[in-house]
Amino acid sequence: MHRLGGVGLAAFERQQQSQRSFSALSSELSASQVTALHSQLSQFRSALQTFASTHRESIRSDPAFRHAFQQMCASIGVDPLAGPRKGGWWAEMLGLGDWQYELGVQIVDVCVSTRERNGGVIEMKELVRLVSKLRGVGGGVITEDDVVRSIKTLQPLGAGYEVVEVGGGRKMVRSVVKELDEDQAIVLTIAQEEGGRIVEDVLVMRRGWTRDRATAALENMLLRDGLCWLDEQDERSGRAYWVPSVMRWDD
Amino acid sequence: MALSTHTTASGFLLPSIHSAPPFFTQQPNASTQSIVGEQWIRLILAYARHRNLFTLRIEDAETTGGDWDEILRNERIHRRLLPSHLSFLFSEMVSKNIAVYEPPKQTRSVLLYWRLPEEWAEVLHGWAISTAQLNTILTFYEITDPPIESPLTGIPVTILRRAITVLNKTGRAQIIGVADGEGVRFFAGT
Repeated sequence: MHRLGGVGLAAFERQQQSQRSFSALSSELSASQVTALHSQLSQFRSALQTFASTHRESIRSDPAFRHAFQQMCASIGVDPLAGPRKGGWWAEMLGLGDWQYELGVQIVDVCVSTRERNGGVIEMKELVRLVSKLRGVGGGVITEDDVVRSIKTLQPLGAGYEVVEVGGGRKMVRSVVKELDEDQAIVLTIAQEEGGRIVEDVLVMRRGWTRDRATAALENMLLRDGLCWLDEQDERSGRAYWVPSVMRWDD
Repeated sequence: MALSTHTTASGFLLPSIHSAPPFFTQQPNASTQSIVGEQWIRLILAYARHRNLFTLRIEDAETTGGDWDEILRNERIHRRLLPSHLSFLFSEMVSKNIAVYEPPKQTRSVLLYWRLPEEWAEVLHGWAISTAQLNTILTFYEITDPPIESPLTGIPVTILRRAITVLNKTGRAQIIGVADGEGVRFFAGT
């Protein structure tokens, strides 16, 4: 009877021999895979470099392109903002990290310099407008999306910068560590629609609040948080509250 | 609503905050009021300098037709600075040494130091040099109402006296009694 591999010492040796040659083959294969990966990676790198050098300017200056680029990055699971310390040569090559940090600094600048008149809460559109003015660029070059991203990069600083949705898709940026409760968010939304002026009646009529609830919310914003200013010469109600953070200041 | 700057009939540029209705109300929140107060004080001093005004009275906020209507009122939004708020601003300014109650011992009228006495002293000394009036005796009237208009035209005697006191301390002026009151003699100084 003939058994594959045979019997005895010779067979043992042959088996060992074949195992050896298999392992040699496998290491050869994985080595070639690694080289292939290396070459792919370097190709990717050089492609990215070309991409960065060709599109860097458009990424910085064209908001639509920047948005598309960021979406692309998100879909392939790459964070273009991962800074050099996080091992991201992305950020380094694109300079997008710097751009975003710069924007962050300017956001802080605007928030801090307007804090005394708006109590630390600024409307997103107003923030975008003031940052654009600070950069000396026209409208539309910096988008809300960019601001939201930059504020995220500020998070490690622990300064409490946060984007708050106040309903109706409206966003406000809060630069003080202060909780905005739900009622205050509603007050901000309505004040925004009214151009800054807010009175109890509006909250009672439009939101069905009780007068006490409206008064409490407004008085808290006025006295405790400094988010409202009082006007005692209002023609219609005699006493009105104004939210400076949703008013448009032209200087 | 957009808050914008506005140029008054006298050519003074009002800041945009002047068109915000709540700016005219004294704020119950202390930190908000300190912002509002600071803006008002800056506005009052800038306007005083612009119009060469020295005195501000509570009456200016109570009646119309005074020198201060352009800033104490905003007819475009029907707001005015209430007398009680103005009175509060007076006390702020006095505590910051940029105004004094004049006459003293009342709180309804202040003299504004849009230049400090030290700054007025320099202006006064500079004027005496440039008009070649060193070492001659001048009456106060000749300084406050000179034949050729000067930066000192209309300066209240109280401020003038304080400026001269400053110069006196550095040996650049001396108060002298003259026939019809007081006079001053300026020296080149060191």
